[in-house]
Amino acid sequence: MPDLSRPDHLPNRRPDRQPRHPSWLPRQRRGTTPQMIGRYPDYDVLDAVDTWDEATKKVVLARLEPPGPLRFFTPDEEPVLRALCDTALAQDCQPRIPVAEMVDGKLADGKLDGYQYADMPDDPDTWRLVLGGLDHTAVQSYQTGFARCGAAQREAIVAQFAKGRLVGGAWDELNVTRAWSVVMRMMLAAFYSHPWAWNEIGFGGPAYPRGFMRLGGAGKQGAQVREPFEKPGATSEDPVQIVESWER
Amino acid sequence: MGTFWRGILKGAMGPRENDSRYLLDVHSRDLPGEATMARYRDDDEVDLVIVGAGAGGSVLAQRLARRGWRVVIVEAGPFWHPDEDWVSDEAGSHPLYWTQKRIIGGADPIELGKNNSGRGVGGSMVHYAGYTPRFHPSDLSTYTDDGVGADWPIHYEDLRPHYEQVEAELPVAGQDWPWGYPHRYPFAPHPVSAAADRLREGALRCGIEMRVGPVGIVNGTFGNRPHCIYRGYCLQGCKVNAKASPYVTHLPDALAHGVEVRANCMALRVEIAQDTGLARGVVYTTESDGAHRLQRARYVAVAGYSIETPRLLLASVSTRFPHGLCNNADQVGRYIMVQGATQAAGRWPDELRMYKAPPPEISSEQFYETDPDRGFARGFSIQTVSPLPIGWAEHVLADGHWGRALREYMRDYNHWATIGVLNELLPHADNRITLADEADQYGQPVARMDYTLGDNDKANMAYSTKVIIDILDAAEAQDVLTIQRFAHLIGGARMGSSPDHSVVDANQRTWAVPNLFIADGSVCPTQGSANPALTIMALASRLAQQMAGGAAMNNTSRKCSYAV
Ligand SMILES: Cc1cc2nc3c(=O)[nH]c(=O)nc-3n(C[C@H](O)[C@H](O)[C@H](O)COP(=O)(O)OP(=O)(O)OC[C@H]3O[C@@H](n4cnc5c(N)ncnc54)[C@H](O)[C@@H]3O)c2cc1C
Ligand code: SF4
Repeated sequence: MPDLSRPDHLPNRRPDRQPRHPSWLPRQRRGTTPQMIGRYPDYDVLDAVDTWDEATKKVVLARLEPPGPLRFFTPDEEPVLRALCDTALAQDCQPRIPVAEMVDGKLADGKLDGYQYADMPDDPDTWRLVLGGLDHTAVQSYQTGFARCGAAQREAIVAQFAKGRLVGGAWDELNVTRAWSVVMRMMLAAFYSHPWAWNEIGFGGPAYPRGFMRLGGAGKQGAQVREPFEKPGATSEDPVQIVESWER
Repeated sequence: MGTFWRGILKGAMGPRENDSRYLLDVHSRDLPGEATMARYRDDDEVDLVIVGAGAGGSVLAQRLARRGWRVVIVEAGPFWHPDEDWVSDEAGSHPLYWTQKRIIGGADPIELGKNNSGRGVGGSMVHYAGYTPRFHPSDLSTYTDDGVGADWPIHYEDLRPHYEQVEAELPVAGQDWPWGYPHRYPFAPHPVSAAADRLREGALRCGIEMRVGPVGIVNGTFGNRPHCIYRGYCLQGCKVNAKASPYVTHLPDALAHGVEVRANCMALRVEIAQDTGLARGVVYTTESDGAHRLQRARYVAVAGYSIETPRLLLASVSTRFPHGLCNNADQVGRYIMVQGATQAAGRWPDELRMYKAPPPEISSEQFYETDPDRGFARGFSIQTVSPLPIGWAEHVLADGHWGRALREYMRDYNHWATIGVLNELLPHADNRITLADEADQYGQPVARMDYTLGDNDKANMAYSTKVIIDILDAAEAQDVLTIQRFAHLIGGARMGSSPDHSVVDANQRTWAVPNLFIADGSVCPTQGSANPALTIMALASRLAQQMAGGAAMNNTSRKCSYAV
């Protein structure tokens, strides 16, 4: 494992702006994370569920229910939707946060963000056009649908999408840069509302009525101070050496 | 009260003529008095009907109810029951925001929704961050001083007593304030978190002074309002009652003095009597039955905030006002403003866990005023912020990351701290609210907001971004991620000294309709680089004073009503 006090694992600090393959990360030992990787292997935000208020508990725990059948997207669109969600969020194996279903639910319930660009269709139509556009580009470049492309091919297409560079087919009905922001923001809002993602990143989760006392400002321990229920992030030290150093 | 006494009595004084803090219940977050609230009939001509139970509307109602006025507030959103309705969760707070459709255009369209406005009893302050700075005196004379923006038809001295009163009501906690009109706060500053502390170190090394606060968050106890529990969910609604919003600071007292808040009622137009040209009341519709009702009133005040207020006026067409109410000079909806709100995040070796403590912590107004050496007029302020995971994901996305790279930055969340700016962006006539061709579920045309940055705005934003990145560098951040964004709304029905260039006069009375007032952020001709809520409340407080005393209805003093 790299030394995490240094920033060398961060994409902007690497030559190609790409991170290493996440296989260097520790496996999750407690609770669940997407793909069972994370930086806080012994932390499970759900351990604190008894300290949450009822209203919050209801909303958060509902996200752990088995994801429902799609209501907004059609069976034809489903494989493209899943392929996009997996690629854009790098969910390449189970367990997955059910982003496709969460996005579908929002669109089916009309829970939109409250604004629409003057040069864009509304969000539900934007989603449909994006899925159509991805298939169009995949066929043009790789002679097969987006969902049937290999991972590297899908990543190449999404990379162009992120740069707003896709043209032809449904893309011509969209401002591609804005479409990227519309779909990404909806996927991210789904992914990072899920307790498994909080485990992966070591987020404290709902904090009412308990709150926090140890803010880490001025004080002897400074930023090192932690609430008893917060688990430290994984470090590069060899645990055997640490224990041996105590014994010495 | 003098600054000296404010210092001596810090934390020990409450406001006069507002008992909200005692009316609240220690065991429940509900707005006390809902069950026993006064109810008025539609055909009962009340003294005042207000559209919108937000920052401006609630303060106006509370003040005038204390003077014996019979007041009804018509509010589009729900009557909150925070214990059940609000959650300690980002995505789950979606119902707090104004998410009804709006169209955004112009060269720099502004993303609205959760970022800009709220819907429901308490208005946008229910989920505002909690920074409560004052405007500087110079904000009221930018045209005279720098040839940009506009001059206000009132002076800082008109507002100052109201600033002091509202600061005591929220109550504001912070260090002594050296910038603008120097002043002290009624409550002591909150402790500083690890993340904000790191940023302050960086600022100090750059020679930038930062101070703790000012925030409308209880430090200590305040009547029945408890101390903040530092849980960090201020932008999701404070389930603790520590953070100020009209829901806890003014509406309890308003209800106790006979105000009716009629929730889930969307105002559709201000009804004008065609013979007299006076407002007769407000036509509204309820979600439950869709019927249109007219609440009659002697006076009408619109306080729907910078998009909905112009929209309501523009939709109120009649033979007297074929282009929308008060819009015969084509001023309604113009000069709408947002603030540049770029944020830069820095990375450190240790875990700072920025989700702890309220997002608003420390700020600086050192760059607030014009400095000719910078090459642009007016300035910006600097404030710490701390996004929760979804906000952090949007930040990482904005720096161009997705897929594995995004996940990598997200996993690093606990090592980051975030600092932001608020740029004073100047008012431009073509940045405006109009009505789009589409209608909402009530048949009301939806609002369209066009926004384009000017050259001064762009120069300001570029300069300020460099300053915050310098702060991160000075604090030895190992990596930096930046997001360019906008925050706050203001203007759209501005005050001025002539009907040709403004919608309301110095007393926020519309030039066109003698008994119609505007009581929200849309009246501000400029915005400074301070967050607007405190000023909106102070303006409403002043408006109430002018209405109660009759000065606001006096036609002879219309052009100029400077304090003497
Ligand atoms: C995320 C966020 C963070 C913010 N942070 C800060 C901060 O830190 N400091 C700060 O000073 N400010 C902040 N603000 C801004 C601040 O909340 C607003 O400027 C302020 O609340 C505006 O006051 P207002 O009275 O003009 O309108 P609002 O408080 O928005 O009230 C308007 C009310 O009118 C209702 N309404 C609108 N149209 C109608 C209609 N047709 N019929 C009936 N009712 C209607 C709305 O539902 C709403 O309740 C923030 C805002 C947001 C969204
Ligand atoms: S941090 Fe404090 S003010 Fe903010 S929501 Fe929590 S208790 Fe309320």
